[in-house]
This record gives sequence, C-alpha cells and structure tokens, in this order.
Amino acid sequence: MTNDKITDMIHVGKGRMPGFPTMQDGELTALIHFLATAESPAQSAETASLHTSLSAAGEALFQQNCAFCHGRDAMGGETGPDLTESRLVRTDRTGDAITKVIHEGRPDNKMPAFNLSAQEVRSIIAFIHEREADAVARPGGRRGVSVADLQTGNVEAGKRYFSGAGGCNKCHSPSRDLAGVASRYEGLELEERMLYPRDAASRLTVTEPSGTKVSGTLAYRDEFTVALRDANGVYRSWPASRVHFTVDAPVEGHVDLFGKYTDNDIHNLMAYLQTLR
Amino acid sequence: MKVHNSRLLLSFAALIAGFASLSVAAAQDLENDQLVHPPADSWPMYHGDYSGRRHVSFTQITPQNVGDLSLAWAFQTNQPAQIKSSPLLVDGVIYFTVPDNIWAVDARSGHMIWHYNRPSKGEHIGQRGVAMLKGWLFFATPDAHLISLNAKDGSVRWDKIIADVSKGYWSTMAPLVVKNHVIVGVGGDLDNVPGLLRSFDPDTGAAQWQWDATPPAGTPNATTGGMTWMTGTYDPQLNLIYWGTGNPTPVLNGKPRPGDDLYTCSIVAVNPDTGKLAWGFSVSPHDTHDWDAVETPVLVDGKFHGEPRKMLMQTSRNGYFFVLDRTNGTSLLTVPYGPVNWALGVDKQGHPIPDPNKEPAPDGRLIAPDEGGLTNYRSPSFDPASGLFIVDAHPSYSVYFAKTADGTYGWAGADYGLWGKGVIEAIDYQTGKVRWTHDVGEGGSGAGVLTTDSGLTITGDGHGNLLALETSSGKTLWHAGLGSPMQSSPTSYELDGRQYILTSSGGVLFVWALPEKQTHAQAAASESH
Repeated sequence: MTNDKITDMIHVGKGRMPGFPTMQDGELTALIHFLATAESPAQSAETASLHTSLSAAGEALFQQNCAFCHGRDAMGGETGPDLTESRLVRTDRTGDAITKVIHEGRPDNKMPAFNLSAQEVRSIIAFIHEREADAVARPGGRRGVSVADLQTGNVEAGKRYFSGAGGCNKCHSPSRDLAGVASRYEGLELEERMLYPRDAASRLTVTEPSGTKVSGTLAYRDEFTVALRDANGVYRSWPASRVHFTVDAPVEGHVDLFGKYTDNDIHNLMAYLQTLR
Repeated sequence: MKVHNSRLLLSFAALIAGFASLSVAAAQDLENDQLVHPPADSWPMYHGDYSGRRHVSFTQITPQNVGDLSLAWAFQTNQPAQIKSSPLLVDGVIYFTVPDNIWAVDARSGHMIWHYNRPSKGEHIGQRGVAMLKGWLFFATPDAHLISLNAKDGSVRWDKIIADVSKGYWSTMAPLVVKNHVIVGVGGDLDNVPGLLRSFDPDTGAAQWQWDATPPAGTPNATTGGMTWMTGTYDPQLNLIYWGTGNPTPVLNGKPRPGDDLYTCSIVAVNPDTGKLAWGFSVSPHDTHDWDAVETPVLVDGKFHGEPRKMLMQTSRNGYFFVLDRTNGTSLLTVPYGPVNWALGVDKQGHPIPDPNKEPAPDGRLIAPDEGGLTNYRSPSFDPASGLFIVDAHPSYSVYFAKTADGTYGWAGADYGLWGKGVIEAIDYQTGKVRWTHDVGEGGSGAGVLTTDSGLTITGDGHGNLLALETSSGKTLWHAGLGSPMQSSPTSYELDGRQYILTSSGGVLFVWALPEKQTHAQAAASESH
C-alpha cells in the first residue's frame, strides 16, 4: 500500500475504523514509518543505536519532555536521575519497563505520566539507549556517581557508628536482614537504600468502634482516611476520625538520623555496609 | 497598601449592590488603573494584584460556612499536561494555560469560549498563565516567544522572540504588565547562558529594554544563569518591579565561577521604564544546589519592630525567610524556616554564608533542603490581620555529587533526593518564628496558598485534597479530594454577588462556591437594607 493510500485511510477511516481527519504531519509520518518498518519492539530496542532517524526523532521529543529533569544527554539534571546508569534502563531490552514508566509516571518520585504514542515512546527509548551506549563506551571519563567514588569511608569507624551513635543495630543486624546486602546492591543504589529505604513497610493497627482490632501493612494515610492491606492482601480503609489507629513506622528512624549525620558518618557507614557480602 | 484597600472597598460595595454588576457592560477590557486597583470581580494578573500577597478581602465564605462549600463547575482540558497557571478573570471570562495552549472559559458556567494551540520546540515544563492589557492577552511559549492575542477570539496580533530557543532558552512565566510595558523573563539552566528580563511595547510588540542577570557567556571567572522564570511584583509608588533570579550555571560546580555570582539567586529591584537595576540582594551567594530565588517577592506595608516599613518578604527555595526594606534592599530579617545544613550562618548584611564543605563532592554531601528546596514556585500568602506569612514548605534531605568528569557545562554534577514531606507553615514575619504547622503528607504537596479576610487559608495536600484551614490555627475546616495534588496556587473573586474559589488539579479546573440558595439569600438581604 502506498503512503498516500495509508494517509487517505487514516483521514477517512474504513469499515468500523473511524477517520482521524485532524492527525498532523508529524504524527502521520511517525505512524506511516511504524507501519512501514514493521519491527517488533524487542528487535527495535536491541538495534536502537542503528536507527539514527528513530533516535533523532526521540531526541527531539526527549528535549521537549524529559531533558529538564533528566538532562539534555539523559545523564541527569533537575530532580531526575541519570538514565544511562539506571538499572531499569540497562535491563529493559524489550522497552516494556521504560514504556510503562513513561505512560504511568512515577507518582512517588513526582514524575508525571506522558501521553505519548507508541512510536514516540519507541523513539525516546532508542535515544536513551543510544546515550547509554555512548556513556558505557567512555568508562574513564564517565560522569555521574560510580561505585569507585563511594570508597572514601573507614570500615571500622562505620562499624562503630552502626552499633554506637547511629543506633542502626536497634533494628538491623549484619548477620540477619543485612547479611549479603552488598551483594544485592552496590554504589549509589546501596547508599540511597542505606539513607532512606523508600519501600520499607509501615504497620497500621485500627481499633474499630466495636472494639475489633485490625492490623496490616499501611497502604494509605492522609488526614481523613487510613487504609491497610491485611494478611490476605485485601485493601481496607476507614475514616480517620471515626476509628482509633496507630502507625508503626520503623523507617522514621532513618529520618531522625538526617539531622545528626556528618558526611564522614555516611561515608564510614557506607564503607562498613560494603563489607557485608 | 492601597491595592488592598481598594479591593476591600470594592468588594463591600459589590455586596451592598447585590447584582448591580450584572448591568455593567462587559467589554473584555482591562485598563492600567484596574491593574493598580483590581476590582473584586477580577483576577487581572498572575498574583491577583501587584503586591503578590495572594490575599483577598472577601468575607462571604467564612470559617463558619466553609463546610457548605460545593463545586460550582469544573472544566476538563482533556490533555495530559498539569495546570500550573493562575487563571486571569476579566469581565466574566477566565483565561488559563498549559504549555502551547490557552483556554478562554465563561467564569459563570465553565463553558469554553475559545481555545488556542501552538505547538512549539523548547522545554514544556509548565506554563503559569497569561497577562492582559485592554483587550489583549500576552502569552510566553516553550520556544521563548511572546505572543499577543485578541482576548475576544484568541487570534494572534503579534509574535515576538524573547530569547533564542536554540541557545537553550524557554519561557514558562505569566508576563507582568506595568504601565505601557509587558515585562517577561526566561528559563534555561541546562546551558551556560545569562538570564534576562525584556520589556515589550503592548501595542506593537517592539522591544523596549533588556536587563541581563549576569555578564555574557564566556566572560572569564564569571557566572551565567540567573533565570527569571517566575512573575515579579511591582510597587507603583516607588516605581520598581521586584524579581527573583535563578541559580548560576554551571549548576552544581561552583569552581569556574568564584565569588557571589551576582545577580543569580538574588532579589532585584528594576525600574520598569528603563530596565535599570535599582538594587540587588543575593539570597544564595555562590549557590551550588540549584536553589532559585524566584519565589514570590511579596510586598507588604506595615510595622517591623515598631517602625513603619515598606517591606519585601520571600520564603526562598534555599530554606531561609527574608524580610528586606524594599526601598533600598537592606535586610531586616534572615532566618531559616525548616531544616537547612548548608550555611555557616548569616552575615551582617543578611546573606547566608555558604559552607564550602557542603558544595557537591565526588563522594557525596548530605544537604537540606533537597534540590526542589524548602519551597518552590507555587505562591505563598500574606495575611495582614494575623501578620502570618503562610507557605507550603518541604523539609527534605538529599545527596549532592560533583567530580571533574562532570565538567563545567549545564548541570555539571548529580543530586538525589532522599526524603521529604509537605508542611504548611505560618511564619510570624516580625521574628521568623513558625506559629503553626500543618502536615500535608510524605513527598510534599506543591499547592500554593491563598488567604481571605474572613480568616480562611486555602491550599492542598500531597494526596490531592483541597484544604480550607483556619488561618489563626491551621486547623482543617473542609476538604475535597481532587484526584491529584494541586500544582497551582488557588485564586478567588466575586461575581454576581457570589464568591468563588478557583483551584486546579491535573488537567481540570475546579471552581467552588457556597450553594446558590445561600449566596442569593445574602445578596437579597443586602439589597433590602
């Protein structure tokens, strides 16, 4: 089918397919390009760096929508992390995980959702992988935070802080929950988790007016509503003003430390944690 | 201040006259005098008036009856960009924006009158709204153009370039109209370029003057940056506009730009007729944490420690609350309003002294607040009756990194937010002491603040609830879930004897009022007196 015929069909529609008379030049070109190339997403992600026209289109979209937070070169900027060092980017060979983040956003990290077409997302992914390949090819002068940068601390001092001033041992143990932690995480990811583990669960216990107690993992809390997931994974909520409730949030211990740490404490603690392999 | 008085008188008059305003001929017209003395049935510029206080004199919605507040109408933009603008209201028509788009909507019904769309290059991070003079709108675009449109139908009158998008400039701000000047600034800290303010002739779009925040790019040992990306305020008596400027560039690497890096991270006073700097005050000397000082420079006339003063107040992104004498830029008060750990103290002139050990480093530095700052672009509010400066604060911690390989261009480092929460804080401007706090959730809120003469504080939480608080205590009086945290600052106006509160969430405008039964009864009672 020629491009003119495809254009006609898009504008007029056919059978049960509605017409899209207002589809603009850029969108139309991208759609025709998509129909003409007929690759699977998996193939396109693998070979992204070869498709310069695709990544060029992605770069333009990236500059408009992503660069303010992630930097013009995808290596970090205002608020947004370096995407070329992202585990999600590195391991997402099909593009599905990046697509999900772009389409749904990351509400916890204040990243908004973007309503981009599949082809637009493919082009952005191609650009990100191109930047990633470029960064990997220059390990010596690499920007961003590398594992080697985070080795300035003293292991013994870190160990003392863990059981002393830091009070980490009140909740954690090198032989139990932290055993092998340095094998599971490294570098910046380990340091971020050490300073504030975002996914740490809190526990909500609600006493209903009847006196019945219900406990579970805290699922939501604002001034007006509290909610939990019970042991069966069922979500339950209550009006906060109608019930008595308590929240047990051990992660608050990490918040209390922010005002007390010196930078050396953090580097020493990091050195100690890195020995827990 | 005169602005406040006239608004109070006019709103009182509107209440007594009941529906008299219905008989006024609508003309989608806005004269300079209405900018200096905004009528009650208008919100004619980004901050509502030139003072930037975001305080209204209305008393129809009160702490006693706010529980009856209900939705008057909502407007769906049906597009994904979040509304970050403060809508204008002039002659019964609301004008609001997202990047590349303007809508004109009937303020009584929420019915769309026209929609303007202009796709563009450049950063699409947000759009704060339009400005207006006579029957013409002024709109800044992601590719750093200033466009004048006919308010009647959205047709373009002229289209001028503010700065070169290919060099890395964009624009998000609502322009400020002062006399026969349309004054507009830019964003652009991904590149080492100077921030600037430009003034345009409202009728022809001819450039009138340009003020540069820093020396030209490439000047040895000098900074670039100082983006002017939020709307300033104006004192008609002193004939000065007040503007905050953004961070220096390179952003996290301060080595190539020794010294205070004037006039980045500063509050500046500029003559609106000439573009000449009257004074500048460095809020973050030698910033290395991206803490723009563009938060609203709020203008307040009143007593400070017993002396009558023309003041300027700012809760700055770097975590400090500043009170300046706005006639000459001298400091009256500099005090932190939340956790800050990057300064050694405050010098005699009121400038925080940056701690060299808290500059970004290869192995990381723990910094409070985080890069988003202790507050950001959404507006605070000043309540004259209580003397409280109410701000959506964001206590937070982060780690900042920079090393040689990060270079000397643009961002030049990396930083990672660790933790933060949202707290509405009521600051006593005389002392900087926080009188009350109201937690609004993990992560932070992002909503701006509006106060009213009846003692209400309107804001939002981090979960998407719109909140009405009691200004004196911070206690919640009413709320409504809007589905997504507000990214804008609430506004309010009176139309047909009915007070409205206008808010947004996601891509939807939500407009609130007391039930018509109540407002009509009030208006009728006023008429019978």
